[in-house]
Amino acid sequence: MRITCPHCGARDAQEFSYLGAADLQRPEGMAASEAAMADYVYQRDNPAGLHRELWYHGAGCHAWLVVTRDTRNHAITAVEPAKTRKAGAAA
Amino acid sequence: MAETATSWAPRSAWAGVVQAGQIGVAGAAGVTATLLDGFGLATLIAAPGGTLALSQLVESRIGITLPTTPKIVPGASHDAIWSGPDQWLLRASTREGFGSLLEALSAQAAVSDQSDARAAMRLTGPRVRDILAKGVMLDLHPSTFVVGDTALTSIAHIGVHLWRLADGPDGSVFEIMVARSMVGSFWSWFAASAAEFGCQVSIDRSTGRG
Repeated sequence: MRITCPHCGARDAQEFSYLGAADLQRPEGMAASEAAMADYVYQRDNPAGLHRELWYHGAGCHAWLVVTRDTRNHAITAVEPAKTRKAGAAA
Repeated sequence: MAETATSWAPRSAWAGVVQAGQIGVAGAAGVTATLLDGFGLATLIAAPGGTLALSQLVESRIGITLPTTPKIVPGASHDAIWSGPDQWLLRASTREGFGSLLEALSAQAAVSDQSDARAAMRLTGPRVRDILAKGVMLDLHPSTFVVGDTALTSIAHIGVHLWRLADGPDGSVFEIMVARSMVGSFWSWFAASAAEFGCQVSIDRSTGRG
Protein backbone atom coordinates (compact mmCIF):
# COMPACT_ATOMS: atom_id res chain seq x y z
CA MET A 1 0.00 0.00 0.00
CA ARG A 2 1.22 3.46 -0.81
CA ILE A 3 0.09 6.69 0.79
CA THR A 4 0.39 9.95 -1.11
CA CYS A 5 1.68 12.33 1.52
CA PRO A 6 0.48 15.86 0.70
CA HIS A 7 3.99 17.11 1.51
CA CYS A 8 6.28 14.38 0.18
CA GLY A 9 4.35 12.58 -2.55
CA ALA A 10 3.57 8.87 -2.88
CA ARG A 11 5.48 6.77 -0.35
CA ASP A 12 5.44 3.17 0.77
CA ALA A 13 3.27 2.47 3.81
CA GLN A 14 6.31 1.35 5.80
CA GLU A 15 7.32 5.02 6.10
CA PHE A 16 4.15 5.63 8.12
CA SER A 17 2.79 4.60 11.48
CA TYR A 18 -0.91 3.97 12.04
CA LEU A 19 -2.74 5.48 14.99
CA GLY A 20 -6.43 4.79 14.47
CA ALA A 21 -9.73 6.53 13.96
CA ALA A 22 -9.32 10.20 13.13
CA ASP A 23 -12.56 11.64 14.37
CA LEU A 24 -12.85 10.58 18.00
CA GLN A 25 -14.31 13.29 20.19
CA ARG A 26 -13.15 13.38 23.78
CA PRO A 27 -16.07 13.86 26.18
CA GLU A 28 -16.14 17.37 27.59
CA GLY A 29 -14.50 18.12 30.91
CA MET A 30 -14.42 16.41 34.28
CA ALA A 31 -18.17 15.91 34.26
CA ALA A 32 -17.95 13.26 31.53
CA SER A 33 -19.52 10.03 32.69
CA GLU A 34 -17.52 6.88 33.18
CA ALA A 35 -19.52 5.19 30.43
CA ALA A 36 -18.81 8.01 27.99
CA MET A 37 -15.09 7.87 28.76
CA ALA A 38 -15.06 4.08 28.37
CA ASP A 39 -16.71 4.48 24.99
CA TYR A 40 -14.16 7.11 23.97
CA VAL A 41 -11.17 5.06 25.07
CA TYR A 42 -12.22 1.57 24.03
CA GLN A 43 -15.14 1.48 21.62
CA ARG A 44 -14.32 1.61 17.94
CA ASP A 45 -16.31 1.19 14.80
CA ASN A 46 -15.02 -1.51 12.50
CA PRO A 47 -16.42 -0.39 9.18
CA ALA A 48 -16.26 -2.41 6.00
CA GLY A 49 -15.78 0.59 3.75
CA LEU A 50 -14.49 4.12 4.08
CA HIS A 51 -12.56 4.87 7.25
CA ARG A 52 -10.90 8.14 8.27
CA GLU A 53 -7.73 7.35 10.17
CA LEU A 54 -4.57 8.98 11.45
CA TRP A 55 -1.18 8.11 10.01
CA TYR A 56 2.17 9.57 11.01
CA HIS A 57 4.83 10.08 8.36
CA GLY A 58 7.64 9.19 10.72
CA ALA A 59 10.24 8.31 8.08
CA GLY A 60 9.45 11.42 6.08
CA CYS A 61 8.16 14.87 6.94
CA HIS A 62 6.91 13.95 10.43
CA ALA A 63 3.44 15.22 9.67
CA TRP A 64 0.25 13.68 11.00
CA LEU A 65 -2.16 12.86 8.19
CA VAL A 66 -5.83 12.00 7.96
CA VAL A 67 -6.17 9.21 5.43
CA THR A 68 -9.53 8.13 4.05
CA ARG A 69 -9.12 4.45 3.23
CA ASP A 70 -11.53 1.77 2.10
CA THR A 71 -10.94 -1.07 4.54
CA ARG A 72 -12.12 -3.62 1.98
CA ASN A 73 -9.48 -2.96 -0.67
CA HIS A 74 -7.09 -0.35 0.83
CA ALA A 75 -8.08 2.18 -1.84
CA ILE A 76 -7.19 5.62 -0.52
CA THR A 77 -9.49 8.42 -1.59
CA ALA A 78 -8.11 11.36 0.39
CA VAL A 79 -5.05 12.35 2.40
CA GLU A 80 -4.92 15.65 4.22
CA PRO A 81 -2.65 17.12 6.88
CA ALA A 82 -4.23 16.55 10.28
CA LYS A 83 -3.47 20.11 11.31
CA THR A 84 -5.74 21.56 8.63
CA ARG A 85 -8.74 19.29 9.13
CA LYS A 86 -11.89 20.49 10.78
CA ALA A 87 -11.90 19.25 14.35
CA GLY A 88 -14.40 16.44 14.75
CA ALA A 89 -15.41 16.45 11.10
CA ALA A 90 -17.85 13.71 10.27
CA ALA A 91 -16.48 10.60 8.64
CA MET B 1 27.16 31.05 22.94
CA ALA B 2 30.44 31.37 24.84
CA GLU B 3 33.08 28.83 23.95
CA THR B 4 34.53 26.92 26.87
CA ALA B 5 38.25 26.20 26.79
CA THR B 6 38.86 22.48 26.37
CA SER B 7 41.53 20.11 25.18
CA TRP B 8 38.97 18.07 23.31
CA ALA B 9 39.30 18.08 19.55
CA PRO B 10 36.31 18.03 17.25
CA ARG B 11 35.98 14.76 15.38
CA SER B 12 34.36 14.11 12.05
CA ALA B 13 31.09 12.21 12.13
CA TRP B 14 32.73 9.72 9.75
CA ALA B 15 35.89 9.28 11.82
CA GLY B 16 36.54 5.72 12.87
CA VAL B 17 34.04 4.36 10.35
CA VAL B 18 35.24 5.41 6.92
CA GLN B 19 38.66 5.95 5.44
CA ALA B 20 39.65 7.52 2.16
CA GLY B 21 40.47 5.13 -0.64
CA GLN B 22 38.84 2.72 -3.03
CA ILE B 23 36.21 0.29 -1.82
CA GLY B 24 34.80 -2.63 -3.73
CA VAL B 25 36.13 -3.66 -7.11
CA ALA B 26 39.34 -2.09 -8.37
CA GLY B 27 39.61 -0.05 -11.52
CA ALA B 28 37.55 2.90 -12.66
CA ALA B 29 35.16 3.76 -9.83
CA GLY B 30 31.46 3.64 -10.63
CA VAL B 31 30.81 6.27 -8.03
CA THR B 32 32.75 8.85 -6.09
CA ALA B 33 31.83 9.56 -2.48
CA THR B 34 33.00 12.71 -0.78
CA LEU B 35 32.55 12.83 2.96
CA LEU B 36 31.56 16.34 3.96
CA ASP B 37 32.62 17.93 7.16
CA GLY B 38 32.89 21.23 8.90
CA PHE B 39 29.63 22.65 7.62
CA GLY B 40 27.20 24.48 9.87
CA LEU B 41 23.74 22.99 10.12
CA ALA B 42 20.59 24.01 11.92
CA THR B 43 16.91 23.20 11.87
CA LEU B 44 14.51 26.10 11.45
CA ILE B 45 10.86 25.71 12.38
CA ALA B 46 8.55 28.62 11.71
CA ALA B 47 5.89 29.55 14.20
CA PRO B 48 2.32 28.88 13.02
CA GLY B 49 1.62 31.49 10.35
CA GLY B 50 5.17 32.78 10.60
CA THR B 51 6.63 31.27 7.46
CA LEU B 52 6.56 34.48 5.44
CA ALA B 53 8.22 36.54 8.17
CA LEU B 54 10.93 33.91 8.59
CA SER B 55 11.48 33.66 4.86
CA GLN B 56 11.88 37.42 4.59
CA LEU B 57 14.35 37.45 7.46
CA VAL B 58 16.39 34.64 5.91
CA GLU B 59 16.38 36.41 2.56
CA SER B 60 17.54 39.68 4.08
CA ARG B 61 20.38 37.96 5.94
CA ILE B 62 21.73 35.45 3.42
CA GLY B 63 19.90 36.13 0.17
CA ILE B 64 18.09 32.83 -0.27
CA THR B 65 14.40 32.04 -0.11
CA LEU B 66 13.00 29.17 1.90
CA PRO B 67 11.40 26.51 -0.32
CA THR B 68 7.81 25.56 0.50
CA THR B 69 7.98 22.26 -1.39
CA PRO B 70 10.60 19.49 -1.10
CA LYS B 71 13.44 21.45 -2.70
CA ILE B 72 16.90 22.64 -1.86
CA VAL B 73 17.66 26.29 -2.56
CA PRO B 74 21.43 26.57 -2.85
CA GLY B 75 23.15 29.86 -2.21
CA ALA B 76 26.68 31.19 -2.32
CA SER B 77 27.37 30.47 1.33
CA HIS B 78 24.20 28.85 2.62
CA ASP B 79 21.67 26.26 1.44
CA ALA B 80 18.06 26.08 2.54
CA ILE B 81 16.73 22.53 2.46
CA TRP B 82 13.06 21.73 2.92
CA SER B 83 12.60 19.25 5.76
CA GLY B 84 8.85 19.19 6.35
CA PRO B 85 5.99 21.64 6.34
CA ASP B 86 7.26 24.96 7.74
CA GLN B 87 10.59 23.31 8.56
CA TRP B 88 14.00 23.66 6.96
CA LEU B 89 17.61 22.70 7.34
CA LEU B 90 19.95 25.63 6.97
CA ARG B 91 23.42 24.61 5.94
CA ALA B 92 26.39 26.94 5.97
CA SER B 93 29.61 26.14 4.13
CA THR B 94 31.54 27.26 7.20
CA ARG B 95 30.70 27.64 10.87
CA GLU B 96 32.21 31.09 11.02
CA GLY B 97 29.46 33.52 11.96
CA PHE B 98 26.89 30.73 11.97
CA GLY B 99 26.07 31.17 15.65
CA SER B 100 25.25 34.84 15.28
CA LEU B 101 23.16 34.13 12.18
CA LEU B 102 21.15 31.54 14.10
CA GLU B 103 20.71 33.96 16.94
CA ALA B 104 19.25 36.52 14.53
CA LEU B 105 16.95 33.94 12.92
CA SER B 106 15.67 32.82 16.29
CA ALA B 107 13.57 35.98 16.32
CA GLN B 108 11.27 34.30 13.77
CA ALA B 109 11.88 30.58 14.20
CA ALA B 110 12.62 27.79 16.58
CA VAL B 111 16.28 27.22 15.78
CA SER B 112 18.37 24.23 16.78
CA ASP B 113 22.04 23.92 15.90
CA GLN B 114 22.67 20.47 14.43
CA SER B 115 26.16 21.07 13.07
CA ASP B 116 27.69 18.05 14.80
CA ALA B 117 24.55 15.92 14.74
CA ARG B 118 24.53 14.79 11.13
CA ALA B 119 26.89 13.17 8.72
CA ALA B 120 26.76 14.16 5.07
CA MET B 121 28.17 12.69 1.90
CA ARG B 122 28.21 13.76 -1.75
CA LEU B 123 27.83 11.11 -4.42
CA THR B 124 28.45 11.31 -8.13
CA GLY B 125 29.47 8.99 -10.91
CA PRO B 126 27.89 6.85 -13.61
CA ARG B 127 26.53 4.20 -11.21
CA VAL B 128 25.22 6.48 -8.49
CA ARG B 129 21.57 5.63 -9.17
CA ASP B 130 22.31 1.91 -9.25
CA ILE B 131 23.66 2.15 -5.72
CA LEU B 132 20.87 4.33 -4.42
CA ALA B 133 18.28 2.03 -5.99
CA LYS B 134 19.36 -0.69 -3.57
CA GLY B 135 18.11 1.31 -0.63
CA VAL B 136 15.96 4.24 -1.67
CA MET B 137 12.30 3.45 -2.28
CA LEU B 138 11.79 6.57 -4.40
CA ASP B 139 12.03 6.97 -8.14
CA LEU B 140 15.30 8.83 -8.65
CA HIS B 141 15.13 8.84 -12.45
CA PRO B 142 16.58 12.12 -13.77
CA SER B 143 13.21 13.17 -15.16
CA THR B 144 11.37 12.48 -11.90
CA PHE B 145 13.85 13.50 -9.22
CA VAL B 146 15.19 16.66 -10.82
CA VAL B 147 18.01 18.97 -9.83
CA GLY B 148 16.98 20.74 -6.64
CA ASP B 149 14.61 18.04 -5.43
CA THR B 150 14.96 16.77 -1.87
CA ALA B 151 13.36 13.90 -0.02
CA LEU B 152 13.10 12.65 3.51
CA THR B 153 12.91 8.89 3.41
CA SER B 154 14.71 5.86 4.71
CA ILE B 155 17.47 3.57 3.54
CA ALA B 156 17.75 0.18 5.23
CA HIS B 157 15.48 1.49 8.01
CA ILE B 158 17.78 4.46 8.57
CA GLY B 159 16.22 7.89 8.23
CA VAL B 160 17.95 9.85 5.48
CA HIS B 161 17.62 13.27 3.94
CA LEU B 162 18.80 13.36 0.36
CA TRP B 163 18.81 15.90 -2.44
CA ARG B 164 20.09 16.39 -5.94
CA LEU B 165 22.47 19.22 -6.77
CA ALA B 166 23.35 20.66 -10.17
CA ASP B 167 25.01 18.10 -12.41
CA GLY B 168 28.79 17.94 -12.32
CA PRO B 169 31.42 16.59 -14.73
CA ASP B 170 30.54 13.01 -13.69
CA GLY B 171 26.81 13.46 -14.14
CA SER B 172 24.17 13.65 -11.43
CA VAL B 173 25.21 14.75 -7.97
CA PHE B 174 23.39 13.63 -4.84
CA GLU B 175 23.99 14.44 -1.22
CA ILE B 176 22.79 12.24 1.61
CA MET B 177 22.58 13.23 5.24
CA VAL B 178 22.05 10.82 8.13
CA ALA B 179 22.04 11.13 11.88
CA ARG B 180 25.57 10.93 13.20
CA SER B 181 24.70 8.02 15.46
CA MET B 182 23.63 6.00 12.41
CA VAL B 183 26.84 6.46 10.42
CA GLY B 184 28.13 2.96 11.13
CA SER B 185 24.92 1.28 10.01
CA PHE B 186 24.54 3.57 7.03
CA TRP B 187 28.08 2.94 5.88
CA SER B 188 27.57 -0.78 6.22
CA TRP B 189 24.69 -0.51 3.74
CA PHE B 190 26.53 1.87 1.47
CA ALA B 191 29.81 -0.06 1.29
CA ALA B 192 28.01 -3.31 0.54
CA SER B 193 25.85 -1.65 -2.11
CA ALA B 194 28.70 0.20 -3.80
CA ALA B 195 31.19 -2.67 -3.78
CA GLU B 196 30.21 -4.20 -7.12
CA PHE B 197 30.66 -0.85 -8.91
CA GLY B 198 33.79 0.31 -7.08
CA CYS B 199 33.72 3.53 -5.09
CA GLN B 200 36.40 6.13 -4.61
CA VAL B 201 36.04 7.68 -1.15
CA SER B 202 37.55 11.03 -0.39
CA ILE B 203 37.27 13.30 2.59
CA ASP B 204 36.56 16.98 2.21
CA ARG B 205 39.24 18.40 4.46
CA SER B 206 38.42 21.98 3.67
CA THR B 207 38.04 22.70 7.35
CA GLY B 208 41.09 20.75 8.48
CA ARG B 209 39.07 18.07 10.21
CA GLY B 210 38.49 14.50 9.27
